[in-house]
Amino acid sequence: MATLNDYLLASGLLFTVGFAGVLLRRNIIIIFMALELMLNAANLSLVGFSRFHTQAGLPDYNAQVLVFFIITVAAAEVAVGLAVIVALFRAKQTTHIENLNSLKF
Amino acid sequence: MNSAPWIILFSPLLAAAVIVIATQPFKKLSSYVSVAAVAVSLLFALTVFGSPDQDVSFNWIDLGVFQVRIGYLIDGFSKMMLLVVTGVGFLIHVYSIGYMHDDRGRSRYFAGLSLFMFSMLGIVLANNFIMMFIFWELVGVSSYILIGHWFERSSAADAANKALIVNRIGDFGFMLGILMVWSASGTVMFGELTSKWSTLGLGAGYATIAALMIFCGAVGKSAQFPLHVWLPDAMEGPTPVSALIHAATMVAAGVYMLARVYFLFAGSAAALAVVLWIGVFTSLLAALMATQQSDIKRVLAYSTLSQLGLMVSAVGLGVPVSALFHLFTHAFFKALLFLGAGSVIHSLHNEQNMWQMGGLQKKMPLTFWTFLIATLALSGCPPLAGFWSKDGIVAAAFEHNAAAGLVITVINFFTAFYMMRLFVVAFLGSARSEAAEHAHESPPVMAVPLVLLAIPSLIAGFPPVEHIFFPMAEEAGPSIPAMLVSVAVFIAGIGAGFVLYRGKNSDPVSIPLFANRFYIDQFYSVLVKWTQDALAGVAAFVDRWIIDGGLVRGLGGTTWGFGFALRFLQIGNLQAYAFLFGFGVVLLLYLILFAA
Amino acid sequence: MNVLVHLTYLGPLVAAILILFGFAPRRTAITGAVVGLISSLILFLGYDHAAGGYQFTSALALVPAWDLKFYVGVDGLNATMLFLTSLVALAAAWMSPRTEENLHRYMACVMAIAAGAAGAFASLDLFFFYAFHELALIPTFLMIGIWGSGNRQAAAWKITIYLSIGSIILLVGLIGLYLMVPDKDRTFDIVKLQAMAAHAVFTGPSANWVFLLMLFGFGTLVSLFPFHTWAPQAYAAAPVPVAMLHAGVLKKFGLYGLLRLTLPLMPEAAHNFTWLLLTLLVGNIIFVGLATINQKQLDLTLGYSSVMHMGYIFLGLATTNLIGVDGAALLMLAHGLSIAALFAISGELRKQTGTLDYRDLGGLAKSMPLLSFLFGLALYASIGLPGFANFASELLVFFGAFKTATPGAAFNGYQIATVCALWGLVISAVYMLRAYRSIFFGDRPSRWANVKDVTLGLGWPVVLLLAGLIVFGFAPQAVLQKIEPGMALFWK
Repeated sequence: MATLNDYLLASGLLFTVGFAGVLLRRNIIIIFMALELMLNAANLSLVGFSRFHTQAGLPDYNAQVLVFFIITVAAAEVAVGLAVIVALFRAKQTTHIENLNSLKF
Repeated sequence: MNSAPWIILFSPLLAAAVIVIATQPFKKLSSYVSVAAVAVSLLFALTVFGSPDQDVSFNWIDLGVFQVRIGYLIDGFSKMMLLVVTGVGFLIHVYSIGYMHDDRGRSRYFAGLSLFMFSMLGIVLANNFIMMFIFWELVGVSSYILIGHWFERSSAADAANKALIVNRIGDFGFMLGILMVWSASGTVMFGELTSKWSTLGLGAGYATIAALMIFCGAVGKSAQFPLHVWLPDAMEGPTPVSALIHAATMVAAGVYMLARVYFLFAGSAAALAVVLWIGVFTSLLAALMATQQSDIKRVLAYSTLSQLGLMVSAVGLGVPVSALFHLFTHAFFKALLFLGAGSVIHSLHNEQNMWQMGGLQKKMPLTFWTFLIATLALSGCPPLAGFWSKDGIVAAAFEHNAAAGLVITVINFFTAFYMMRLFVVAFLGSARSEAAEHAHESPPVMAVPLVLLAIPSLIAGFPPVEHIFFPMAEEAGPSIPAMLVSVAVFIAGIGAGFVLYRGKNSDPVSIPLFANRFYIDQFYSVLVKWTQDALAGVAAFVDRWIIDGGLVRGLGGTTWGFGFALRFLQIGNLQAYAFLFGFGVVLLLYLILFAA
Repeated sequence: MNVLVHLTYLGPLVAAILILFGFAPRRTAITGAVVGLISSLILFLGYDHAAGGYQFTSALALVPAWDLKFYVGVDGLNATMLFLTSLVALAAAWMSPRTEENLHRYMACVMAIAAGAAGAFASLDLFFFYAFHELALIPTFLMIGIWGSGNRQAAAWKITIYLSIGSIILLVGLIGLYLMVPDKDRTFDIVKLQAMAAHAVFTGPSANWVFLLMLFGFGTLVSLFPFHTWAPQAYAAAPVPVAMLHAGVLKKFGLYGLLRLTLPLMPEAAHNFTWLLLTLLVGNIIFVGLATINQKQLDLTLGYSSVMHMGYIFLGLATTNLIGVDGAALLMLAHGLSIAALFAISGELRKQTGTLDYRDLGGLAKSMPLLSFLFGLALYASIGLPGFANFASELLVFFGAFKTATPGAAFNGYQIATVCALWGLVISAVYMLRAYRSIFFGDRPSRWANVKDVTLGLGWPVVLLLAGLIVFGFAPQAVLQKIEPGMALFWK
């Protein structure tokens, strides 16, 4: 039987993979996808907590509600984010992060 | 309660208000309004003269714990002064109608004159220090307005500023003195203070300093050394103003005030000595300066200074009534001298240099004779007014302080000398300029006041007349030796002046030190430049560069500098930001979970 | 009758809103100001000084748990301040330009300042007392930055940062004040707070800190030395109505706060820091006074002079006796009227000549007799000559300061400060007379030959302000009797 530790380990790995993607990949769309991985890592740990934090035999539904919130917000965020990326591509003709560095000192 | 003093006081203020608000465009009407107001004051002053003494006041400010009162004190001093101020004032108002006939700013002039009458009468009537200070400041303003009447002339504008600022310096001390007196005694009413002051048991130092601070006010207003510099410059004003304000009344206010509050000085020998020697010193200084001036009004201005010094020294000698007596006679003949000079100046088209005059005896007989009377009266010719009043001071001086008496005798010699010089040069001999050739007698509106002022210049000093106006004077009896000395000095001075200047076309004596007024004005302008203006420059510099530039901008600049340094972290690489962010989170987690 | 208090700030506030919605800017603003003036005049005259206390009060409870109310009402002090506010507001509205870019926004801002000031003075609740003042400050900043002259951006930044920091310090002080009250009695109600002062609630070491915070918070708003450098620049750059309203009215908020809250609530702490206040106010009078002498432009001279004159009001406050405090309150009114008149005149002068530099001007009395006459009167008032309210109030301040003395003893700190303040009168005469002389007297450069004088139709608000000064100068008792009952509660 999987313990809470296993869930958290999986969540942590997922988060690390996502964060590594954000740091290392150069294509902004891939970075965006890696970001989603990180969000879902958080969701996974929340679900895990919900499952193992039982009260009177029932799982903690607060965590599950929070997960649904995150999923909906993430969906909205994806829509906005992709729109921004498309607009950025139209303006700059690139999705590579090295070329998107005009906001600096 | 008698309403006459209020009418005396407020009718000129009403006239000033009416002129400013309503009759400004109608110049002739303005002058009549002003003259009518002072005539009303004069009439009521005559009724007050016969009335009993009173001390009436009402609360102007009442805070329960503190009252400021406005009121009037009718006694021998104020009755006499009311008559002098309104009487001489009335004649000068009438004279002004003629003198200022062609002036564009006549309404402004008469409004200023009425405002002055209001302020001066307020000083005379005041029954407490605060009221006196209020009107004290107001005479300063009206004098400022009138000196600067011809404001287009830079010299007049500067003279007006100088007068007000120097007076303010005197008032600084005056107010401080009032505060000290109040703080020690809890009252500012003259009536209460007269009986209370000597019983307070104050330390000698405090009482002397308080008295000297009060004296500061008189030093400013009566133009005593070291604040005398404004009075000669004040001659930039129209001549009737010089006659009224800067000879007969306002400058005498200091002496009047000293006589009024003599109780402050009576107990302090040190204060009296300071008053005496300041007066004597001013008087001598001014007499010497007067001998070398060539502007007719300036000679008279220095002579005024000198006579004021004499009055102040009389207070210092402990004979305030003699001081007031000299003030009384001086008001008439000095006003007459100025009006006579004005008559000449008017007739010679604003020529003021006496070396450009001469030969006026035939052309202006009325002015000539009245001026002669006033000259003799001032010089101390028996039995004219000045002889009697000066005699009182000389006698007192020899009685109390022989050194002062000696100096005063010298001053009297110079007085006779420079007055004769002025008279000989300006009126006798032959005409020395085009304008003097065509001189003509002034119109009656100007000539009649001359005649009317000549009468008191002749008779105001006689003991019976003195007795009417100064019933409080003690009958000391004439001091024969003092009188003989006075007569001798008078004859010597007149003779020297006559012999030295008869028939001369330029000054045979030249003493630059006297002509340049001992370089006191130059010294002051350097002093002001190196103290006040230098400090002002330093203050402005510190304010701008140290406080504002250093502290305020310094704080702002530091904040800006941090921002400037931190913005180098803003390198534009998204992933670097993400890395820093992640690194920070990990660091925080480490610190929270493991470091503790 | 209680609605009158609301009208004093609602008049300008509604006018501001209506102007933004497109009503005729000038006419609406003046109407709003007139409504304010009439209601504040009725309040001032109608305040029953024999009965004393706060009158015309009305309250609307907002958060009962915190005792937070919308609570307004007047006693003699704030009735006087409301009268000052609405009089200056009317003058400022009239002296505003007739043609200006975005005139409706301009006028709305002017009215918002007036409304904020009136609201702050009318409030008897700490929260709204503070909030209304902020409402007035923001349009002040905007107007200097947008419609100012000269170095307006820098001046706007400076006043914004300076006064915001001052306000924040003040806010901390006010919160401290709120927290000093024991938990169950906590209240925003100024009247209740004042009543608590009698039970020594605001004492102890924390009172010292709160006092200092409030002193420097209010002090910065009033340009207490050395936190004054914002004032001259801001007034020089500000549009005329803003300079009039800020120097004349809004600046008095800080003094009003000290007089209403800080000094009566914490007499002990005030006593501890008398030396500090006396030192700083001498800085205001002598140091800033000297710096004023060195100025070469009328607007800067006036700005500095308004900083300098704050020293006299601080002296009155520092005496903490009835004479001095009454004098300070009267001087707040007098200074407000006179500085507003002076700024209005300098605005007209600039409109006609385009410059306020002494070196360029001269002899203008010839072409502008009325303006120079009005300037002369305002100048006499400003240097404290009798006949104007400034004199009566400065007199009381000096006597108040000497009241602290032991009869016949050597001078204490108050008296030394008074000596400096008396010398300050000489200094103020020097710079004002120099200014008057170099602008209006002497030779007139030919370029000013055709300068037009103001007309009474344009200049009547200045006449009104000066008339106020003269009326209260001849009859200061009219104001003092209204103010006194409120003051006599705390001071003898």
